[in-house]
Amino acid sequence: MSLDLSKVIPQVGGMITKLKSDGEERQKHLQHSLDILCNQIDNIEDLAEKIESSKTSWLVAGLTDRLDQHYKVFPVPPEFTVIATDGSHIDVDRHQSARCYLINIGTVMLHYGISPHAILNSVPHLCSKAEDLVITPTGIKGREQPIEGNLLGIKRSVEECYQLVKLAGELPQNIQTIALVDGSLILWSLEAYPQFVAEELLDKGYLHYIEEIRKLNSDREIALASYISFPRSTDVVNTLRVAICPHGSPDCDRYCSTSDRRDCDVVAGVRDRDLFSNILGQGDRSSVFISRSSIVKKWYGIHQIYFFYLKVEDEIARIEIPQWVAEDESLLNLVHTLVLDQCQRGQGYPVALSEAHEKAVVTGVDRENFWQFVESSMTDDHLPTFTSAKSRSKRTRWI
Amino acid sequence: MNIRMDNAQRLGEVIEASTTDFTAQCFELFQSPPLGSLVKTIDESAELFGIVCHATTASLETGRRPIARGKDETNDEAIYQSNPQLLQLLRSEFSVLVVGHKKNEKLYYYLPPKPARIHSFVYLSSTDEMKEFSQSFDFLNVLLNSHLLIPTEELVAAALRQISQVFEDPYSFLVTAGKELAILLGGDFNQIKTIMGKLKQ
Repeated sequence: MSLDLSKVIPQVGGMITKLKSDGEERQKHLQHSLDILCNQIDNIEDLAEKIESSKTSWLVAGLTDRLDQHYKVFPVPPEFTVIATDGSHIDVDRHQSARCYLINIGTVMLHYGISPHAILNSVPHLCSKAEDLVITPTGIKGREQPIEGNLLGIKRSVEECYQLVKLAGELPQNIQTIALVDGSLILWSLEAYPQFVAEELLDKGYLHYIEEIRKLNSDREIALASYISFPRSTDVVNTLRVAICPHGSPDCDRYCSTSDRRDCDVVAGVRDRDLFSNILGQGDRSSVFISRSSIVKKWYGIHQIYFFYLKVEDEIARIEIPQWVAEDESLLNLVHTLVLDQCQRGQGYPVALSEAHEKAVVTGVDRENFWQFVESSMTDDHLPTFTSAKSRSKRTRWI
Repeated sequence: MNIRMDNAQRLGEVIEASTTDFTAQCFELFQSPPLGSLVKTIDESAELFGIVCHATTASLETGRRPIARGKDETNDEAIYQSNPQLLQLLRSEFSVLVVGHKKNEKLYYYLPPKPARIHSFVYLSSTDEMKEFSQSFDFLNVLLNSHLLIPTEELVAAALRQISQVFEDPYSFLVTAGKELAILLGGDFNQIKTIMGKLKQ
């Protein structure tokens, strides 16, 4: 037996007890948060200024509207299209003889209206060329970043966006459309990599493709959005931390780096979704907020990321949109309406994303078949196939 | 051979085959041929004839079952209008029991030397082919001796009903078939009665 569950059971019991006590504490904090939010309703401009002048150790949302503002959904247009992509990958395996990775993107086009129809597809792409396997800075020799692990995940997001552009380009001009991806539009993990990696994947890749989608709006209405289910973010709750900070210009490192207990800890543990599940009615969206993350400020430019929360049945979802969608009332309303409609058609999660995931998914069996096929193809062509002893050991278990 | 088949009604494509039967996926969802239809598929050397003995419509992927969606819809067609992806996620299949084959223009009422070829097309037999094939009732013997998912009597009756429709006098065809069945089933009066009861149209 590889996992002895009998040894885990008492640990699970301990975890449940802790969760219970934490839950009671968080409920108190949530009530505090809601009280603070009510007090801030009339001071929104002051709060926005205080946020701008703050230097916090946590991410604070930028404000565009009142914190408690909520908007009802608009009627669904008679004819519209939803496009979506999602991806999955087989990572580079250093125990295999061929150095390569595979990205599989699921693409979905759903058209609703008089003649409803759907196109579901998957686009697998095997990468084994030197330029696919590493990123090298232009003009500088000796530096390179291998594309594997987390970076391959980012590369996959770029491919998802590329396929979205391709889908969008094939659509007729006169139909209102939303283009959806799963997860965040902010490629957070790039912060851990050198500048030339961000230049390649973000500037020349992801943001370039977002710009392609934006440009399509010259002769049609197409909005880009990403959907985050059950978000853990606290950007809006953190605006309340700023609000209750006793210092005029909050500076965590300066005033609170050594203190055990901070005034703003009365809202600790509360997430934005807890806050908005008490504020939003069914199908409502919150105000639009601005992401003030450093990667967005540094790289995103006109595609700066805004977000709002949406109440879908029992869940609060976070919807991220680029600035040009947030500032165009028609596109913003289109995202609100159609994302909610997609969730209602898809048992609480956008049906287009759900189907894109189904087309993209690479199972454990698929992975095994892929590597077996690579190996047998190499053998057929009389290429040497070396696999590590560890890999062989995992495949053939013995006593 | 393909040129000759251009006018025939193409029903689907073989996706599973054995010596005794094959399964075909319909090109259009829900468009499986009626139970008991005489269909054929073409191998490099022979035409295989079979009787449609079962049909299903189910999810393309095992593990993804359809769920009820029509609670707030006015009719079932509205479900497909509201969920256009459904047509891409379901598939219709039909199974065919091989009852004979044709080689060098001669019909044989026994199993072919090889099973149907995977991905070969399946066609609905033409009126002439049905008339020619039913000149002999030897195929009934194959149907009666097969292990099927449906009662044998259902399939025999369905096949005879289907084929009878191509004759100007279907009743006369069914009377002849009934006599043949009486010989084949000997003293099994109950089985004959069951089949006869299902031949009424």
